[in-house]
Amino acid sequence: MVFNSLTFVVFFACVLVLHSLPLRWTTKKINLLIASYLFYAAWNPPFVILLWISTVVDWYAAQGLVKARRQAARHAWMLLSVIANLGMLGYFKYGQFLLDNFTALMGTLGVPYHPAHYDIVLPVGISFYTFATMSYTLDVYLRRAAPAQNLLDYALFVTFFPHLVAGPIMRPTELVPQFAQPRRASADQLRFGLALMTLGLFNKIVLADSFLSRVAERVYDGDKIPGALDAWAGTLAFSGQIFCDFAGYSTTAIGAALCLGFAMPDNFRFPYAAVGFSDFWRRWHITLSSWLRDYLYIPLGGNRHGARRTYLALMGTMLLGGLWHGANWTFVAWGGLHGIYLSVERVLRARFSNYRPGPVVFVLLGLLTYTLVNLTWVFFRAKTFSRAWLVLRGMLGQNAATGPILPTFSLISVAAIIGALVLTHWLMRGRTLESVVARAPAVAVCAVWGLMAFAIIIAQGAGSAFIYFQF
Amino acid sequence: MPSSTSSSEALDAGSAGLLRTPPGEASGASAGTDRYARQTAADRPGVAQPVPVRPVPEQPWGKILIGMLALLLLLVALWEWYWRDFGVTPSISNTYGLWAIQRRRIDAGEGNATVLLGASRLYFDVQLPVWERLDGRRPIQLSFEGTSPLTAVEDLAADPNFTGRLLISVEPDLFFSGFEYRGGAGRYARNESPSQRIGQWLSMNFIEPYFAFDDPDYALRTVLARQRWPARPGKVWHTDVRKLAQTEADRNTHLWSKVADDPQYRELARGIWREGFQPSEDDPPPAVARRVEQEQIDRMAKAVAKLRTRGVQVLFVRMPSSGPFLAYENLMYPRTRSWKALLAATGAPGIHFEDYPQLQGYYLPEWSHMPLAEGERFTAALYAIVMREFWGPPAAAGTAPRAGTP
Repeated sequence: MVFNSLTFVVFFACVLVLHSLPLRWTTKKINLLIASYLFYAAWNPPFVILLWISTVVDWYAAQGLVKARRQAARHAWMLLSVIANLGMLGYFKYGQFLLDNFTALMGTLGVPYHPAHYDIVLPVGISFYTFATMSYTLDVYLRRAAPAQNLLDYALFVTFFPHLVAGPIMRPTELVPQFAQPRRASADQLRFGLALMTLGLFNKIVLADSFLSRVAERVYDGDKIPGALDAWAGTLAFSGQIFCDFAGYSTTAIGAALCLGFAMPDNFRFPYAAVGFSDFWRRWHITLSSWLRDYLYIPLGGNRHGARRTYLALMGTMLLGGLWHGANWTFVAWGGLHGIYLSVERVLRARFSNYRPGPVVFVLLGLLTYTLVNLTWVFFRAKTFSRAWLVLRGMLGQNAATGPILPTFSLISVAAIIGALVLTHWLMRGRTLESVVARAPAVAVCAVWGLMAFAIIIAQGAGSAFIYFQF
Repeated sequence: MPSSTSSSEALDAGSAGLLRTPPGEASGASAGTDRYARQTAADRPGVAQPVPVRPVPEQPWGKILIGMLALLLLLVALWEWYWRDFGVTPSISNTYGLWAIQRRRIDAGEGNATVLLGASRLYFDVQLPVWERLDGRRPIQLSFEGTSPLTAVEDLAADPNFTGRLLISVEPDLFFSGFEYRGGAGRYARNESPSQRIGQWLSMNFIEPYFAFDDPDYALRTVLARQRWPARPGKVWHTDVRKLAQTEADRNTHLWSKVADDPQYRELARGIWREGFQPSEDDPPPAVARRVEQEQIDRMAKAVAKLRTRGVQVLFVRMPSSGPFLAYENLMYPRTRSWKALLAATGAPGIHFEDYPQLQGYYLPEWSHMPLAEGERFTAALYAIVMREFWGPPAAAGTAPRAGTP
């Protein structure tokens, strides 16, 4: 089920009540586990089996890793986990993509090949929970972490509903220890958790779904050729939509976990105030970028084997990171662009190591970063390269004699929301939400919270899925 | 533990901060005097991540929560009062979920029912209670406003469970253009998740019957978007259709009384239709429009043929329209080229309101739909013609209809 649904409201109320009953801690954990399976099954019940497979394989792989004496055996257990998880991900997420590309390759070689079309349904959140479970065996393999003490704690780590389908991608060392001792939210944790959930849902339902998504749709999914204003408005709208959608999910998830007494890590830190792309990736989808860094970039050599190897590792990581987002070459292009940006930044940093920008240049560099990030969003949002080029040409003012696509209201709403969003990110650049809330007058916190809740209700969201569910 | 990886091995490929730290600013939220500052996984490369820190800001949260709830209650009450003062009363939302409930009836033992499929005229004007009173069975209403019924007819044609009777409304500008404002209902119904089903049930039982503002026409964005924003030059911008109907739990629907009773609102509705009568740059070229028209007829003919092989009785109906709307339809889709061609291609019978005095003379406030009382009268007249001339007396409940068509 999605957070922005009535079903979730009822579900979450039941979970809160159950969790506050005077039951044994083990019973409460079993309740949470069952609730999490119900949460997942509410989309498509049979796919719970995949969740079980992923859980059981990695549980036994980690046990095998601990017991193995020889390095070869440890390798084998680690590979079993990786192959099982990536195999599942590959079949459900990339099966059709690989088949289509193979067919196209055969076609270019003059070999007619016409496979049957497989109508594979992508299990929601498979990319997230396979990465979470893989981090468990990989951490045990790398001797960074000891395996979980019991299957219940481990299964709950994999399945815990706040992070199950769209992250934050949690590591076992972040969550499993929290299951060791009884946890129940304090009254203030519960209230602040509810406030965080309101903030997250406001981002999703009001900003992303109500105002920004249809602007991006009209530019990217229509058949009209966009001029400069429409192309930029559509792309800026998408930049806001994807942030509000995904950061909204993460904030809601963090709030939901806090209401139950659990802590989840930050996943976003005001990324549109990033100055440079390394800074951007320290602020955007932090749990994915750090996962890729720890389990892909560093094993590929990181920056320990010379410049050439570093750039290869960087590009490889970003290209695969792009593909993680979806089975389409446009996502690879998106990742590739970020890889190039990071590489260029690295070259510049080495060449101008003593340069310190002044305040104005600093802000200009931030705006340049945001602009270049927007260029990458074109490939992320467009379903085909031809549409991406059309929008890019529009953004560069190269689409001549085009009629308007977006009405005035859309332009105004995008300008207002994106302007406020970017400004907020800059104001919050070196702060945390908690520090700002702590300093604000209680009346202001109350008013903002109430207004956000009111906006959520009158926006009448249709319970649309979060963008990252498809990844 | 593995060898500790230096912080310069972050994905950012280096932390020596050319661009990291702005002048005079602490390095992110993880430094400085901020007591809520904390590190993230981005700050800890290549190590096991610790249990996260999630501090609660110091505030009187109990009082804040009570104040927030009081403010929320006040704002919602004001919003509700505002729309009720405008004349709105609670109505069930015409969602895909609501449609799916009716669609499922066919697969749940009512496969031999009478199904109504069309756009808003069949949807608003045919009153299910009247039909049920005359027929003994309540039809299944699967029409959708602003939507050609073709895709839904094809969906029924592909469903062997459906063996009943099918009344298809032809609203020319939608039917022959293939326009589908709500075209995703069939796909939604096939893929509806348990969570969506529960959400639909909760909404139609605990929210929609009690809150007037819970209507897409009064959603925040819709309300803001229809304010008098300056029109962007270079294109004729069409006004979105406003709320026209009230819907019940089984999709029995009627024209909202405000359309008939409020002259200003009625004129607004007429003005929106008038905008649609003007040529637009979005209109396809005439040759393309003709091709689309023929494609709709051909596809419908195939679907009808498939339905008739199962003994489904198919009947087309051209619902009443009047004034400029009728003139527009006659101009764009002349009867010979559209209606007659459809009947000829499908071989199915049809009822055109212009051929029956009993189906004429109804009051259509905005030239396209009739108020509730007129709809009840019209339903009785239509039912009588349908049964007398085409379908014969109603089959006993639970028995299959007669095979074949007149």
